Order: sequence, then C-alpha cells, then structure tokens
Amino acid sequence: MAEHVVARAAELPPGARRVVRVGRLEIGVFNVGGTLHALPNICTHQFGPLCLGHVGGTVLARAETGYRFEWGLDGQIISCPWHGLEFDLTTGRCLAYPRVRLRTYPVRVEGEEIILTA
Amino acid sequence: MAIDVGPRLSLRDVLIVDGDVHAHEQPEQIAPYVAPRWREAVENAARLPYRYLNRPGWSPGAGHMLPGAALPGGRGKAREEIVWSAAQMTQQLAALDIDVGIIFPDHFLKIAAISDGAFAAELARGYHRWLEELWLDPENDLYAAIVAVPHDVDAAVAEIERYAGHPKFVGVFLPTCQVYPLWGHRRYWRIYEVAQEAGLPVMLHSVAGSSWAFPFNTEQHTGIAVHTASHVFAMMANLMSFMETGVPVRFPRLAIVFSEAGLTWVPFLRMRLDKEYNENRRGWPYYADRPSAYIRKMWFMTQPVEEPENPRDLVDLIRIYDGEDQTVFASDWPHHDFDHPRAVFDLPVSDLVKQKLMGLNALRLWPRIRVPAKYAASVTVWRNTL
Repeated sequence: MAEHVVARAAELPPGARRVVRVGRLEIGVFNVGGTLHALPNICTHQFGPLCLGHVGGTVLARAETGYRFEWGLDGQIISCPWHGLEFDLTTGRCLAYPRVRLRTYPVRVEGEEIILTA
Repeated sequence: MAIDVGPRLSLRDVLIVDGDVHAHEQPEQIAPYVAPRWREAVENAARLPYRYLNRPGWSPGAGHMLPGAALPGGRGKAREEIVWSAAQMTQQLAALDIDVGIIFPDHFLKIAAISDGAFAAELARGYHRWLEELWLDPENDLYAAIVAVPHDVDAAVAEIERYAGHPKFVGVFLPTCQVYPLWGHRRYWRIYEVAQEAGLPVMLHSVAGSSWAFPFNTEQHTGIAVHTASHVFAMMANLMSFMETGVPVRFPRLAIVFSEAGLTWVPFLRMRLDKEYNENRRGWPYYADRPSAYIRKMWFMTQPVEEPENPRDLVDLIRIYDGEDQTVFASDWPHHDFDHPRAVFDLPVSDLVKQKLMGLNALRLWPRIRVPAKYAASVTVWRNTL
C-alpha cells in the first residue's frame, strides 16, 4: 500500500468522479455529497468497468411503508454499465447480494490534494 | 521452492466463436435492397418513429415492455446497445477477445409477427442482400444466418438454396417469437430437407416478451419474470414441437440449435420427456429410443448463461445433459444481457473443455467457419484427434 496524489481537491466537487490507474489497479474516486470514496473499477458480476457507470439513486421498498416503491440514496448508487448491478459508493455494498461488498480504499483531502491509499 | 503450475490459459489464447451477435437493420438501410414493388412500403416504414426493437410496422410490438423502457428508475446504462456496422462489430468483438461472430438481426427477430407474408419474405430477401454487401466481407470474421420466414416456405426455401453455397452464410435462422404454428409442423419440413442437404444447421431465436399468441402468456408482468420465461418457453415449446412430428428422425443430419435461453432448462426437459415417453411411446412411434437420445444431439448456445454461486453446479448440469460437445458460447452482443466470454471461460473445467465450449464445438456445428490464422495450428492438432 502506498499513497498517491490522484487529483486536486478542486477537480472533484460533489458529484464528480475520476477513475485512476495505480500500478495494475484501476480505482474510481467519487465525491458523494462532500465525502470522498474509492472503489475498484471491477464489477463482481462479469468484471466490467463498474466505476464508469451511472451514479444516481435507486428504488427502495421498506416494510414500514408496505413495500411501496420509493426513490432514495440519490447520488450514492453506482450501476455497472454492463448489466446494471448496483453498488453503494459509500460502503462498497452490492444492493442485490447482502454478502457481497467491494473493498474500499482510504482516500482523503490534504490541503489541495486528494490522496488515495492503494 | 516455487511450484510452477505452467501458463494458465487466457481468453487471448483460445479461439472464441460467438454464436449470437446482432446487427441492426433499419428500413432506411434495407430499402435499396428490396424489390421495387415493396420499396415504397419500406421507405414508408422509415418515416415512422424509431423505437428500439419496437418500430411500428418493422418490428411489431413486443407485447410487453422492453428492458430499460420500464425498469423503475431506469438502469443508467452508459452504452448504446446497437451495432451499426461490420467494422464496429469487429472492433467491439475484438475488445471482448471474440474472434468470430455469427450475425442475427435485431428488428427482424420478430419477423414472424409481420402479418403480411409477402412483405415479410421480401424483407428477408432485402436483409440478406444488405448483409452480403455491407457485413460479410470475405476479409472479416463475421458470418450470418439465412432468415426463413414461416409465412412463406417457398420463399424461405428459395433463399436457402440461393445462399446454400455462400461461404459466409452458416445456418438458417428460424424466427421463433410469435411463430405459429411452431417449427415442428409438417408445412416447414421442406425447409429442413433443404437445410440438411446444404449442410446448414437451423437456429431458433426468440425475443424477450410474451403475447397472446406465442410465447404463451404465463401472466408475468415484470421484466425479471418475463425475461426468465420468454426465451426459455419459446425454445422448450419448439423442441417439443420438433419431437412431436419426428423431425430428428425425418432429418437425421439436420443440426438444431437453441439460443438465448441459457442451459439449465435442458436437463429438466430431457428428463420430463423421458418420463412421459415411458407411458406413451405410441404417441411418438418414430423413435427407436427415448427422447433424450435425440436431444443429446441438439445444440445449445450458452447465453444468458446461468451463474450459480457455485459454478460447479453449472458444470454438473452441462454434464447431465451431455453438453460437453454440444454447447457453444454466445455473447448476444450488443444486447443488454450480453455475456462476457469469461462467464463461460472461467467455468471450472479442463482446458480442453474450455476450448470446446468457446470455439471448437462451434467449428463442428458450423464447419464453414474459416479458422483465423492465429489458431490454425492448434485447431489442426485438435481436428486430428477427432
């Protein structure tokens, strides 16, 4: 593990992303509502380029509402461009499979730089 | 002490034949290739609003929503699921490590539902001329299927005979979505006779969707369920239709290929038919042996390949339907539910079985395929073992 400067903080405002190459790894760095998150650019399904997918919300259905379809987690959910498998950017959790969670990489702002540890 | 396990086979080392990719035929493109008496009709179709796989008068309504159109909140897909040219197809397949592709249509997957049989026959002719000129350059590794319109068997037979010797037409596509009657009916037998003589397999391909006609309306209303049922029931019903009229015995050299239904239905149907046959052999007196003895000679495209948590489960199922030599990889590129070659290549099987599934079985099924130079030596070695 080593630290890498992957962007200037100003280049990644809320809602923005950057996919970077660190050695042989491809990692997507996302600013979700002011907090940075980093995930591997590999979907667990057929290993597609997950971090190139659409970021938005998703459909939720909760017992409390009698499983009414609701829209939520806006800006937090990424869908793999290949088949649409959804992951929570803030946790790496796969929405469809409770036991599947992508590893996340530590990423922080230091001064004007964004530093990824990978 | 390091242990050398030898080089691992990679996708790039292996001949990959893709049994099912899709071109995108539009009336604007097909119009120049249809006979003058129908050209105006096709040009009129070009003025109708474009809808993906649902263009009025061109690809009759799916009878159901298409994936992406009604999924709650959309899927946020980032790519256009259309291939517009042979060059694009070649480039995109190369990016997937796929060496050879066999082309099926997009809109004309539903050609059986076009009500005017004469129009449908002319569309098929125009499509074949369009493919010939724009997609099947002798220098590329793309091949195509001759569309057999069910409405007009004479027209279908004429097209098969026309292209019987063409090196780039490798099979006969039997449009299965909304076909009536099903493909076992005696009215279609001349198609099988001609295909058999020409050494061309027949390939069935349906569409995701259900209608009052066929595939039957089993009362699914959400995309997941419709997509689970539609292609699979279309293939199962037609396999049974072939069995019902004795097609495997009347045309013993005819290869029959099923597509886009995955693989896990095959053991189910074989076992059920074998069970029923015990009681009712007289209903199918053509056969000298149980149904599975004939089904084991049929062919099955992998896509959309099932992905159980334990991949050995799928390997076991392939063994159960005797599929090692009869299963061929298909991606369904560029459709939404395409399979990356890894989905089949990564199965826990031997290197030889991997190569069979990814390309060697396809060479036996479609012997017209010219082996790309890169693989010529290894394929020759394999052919000598047969």
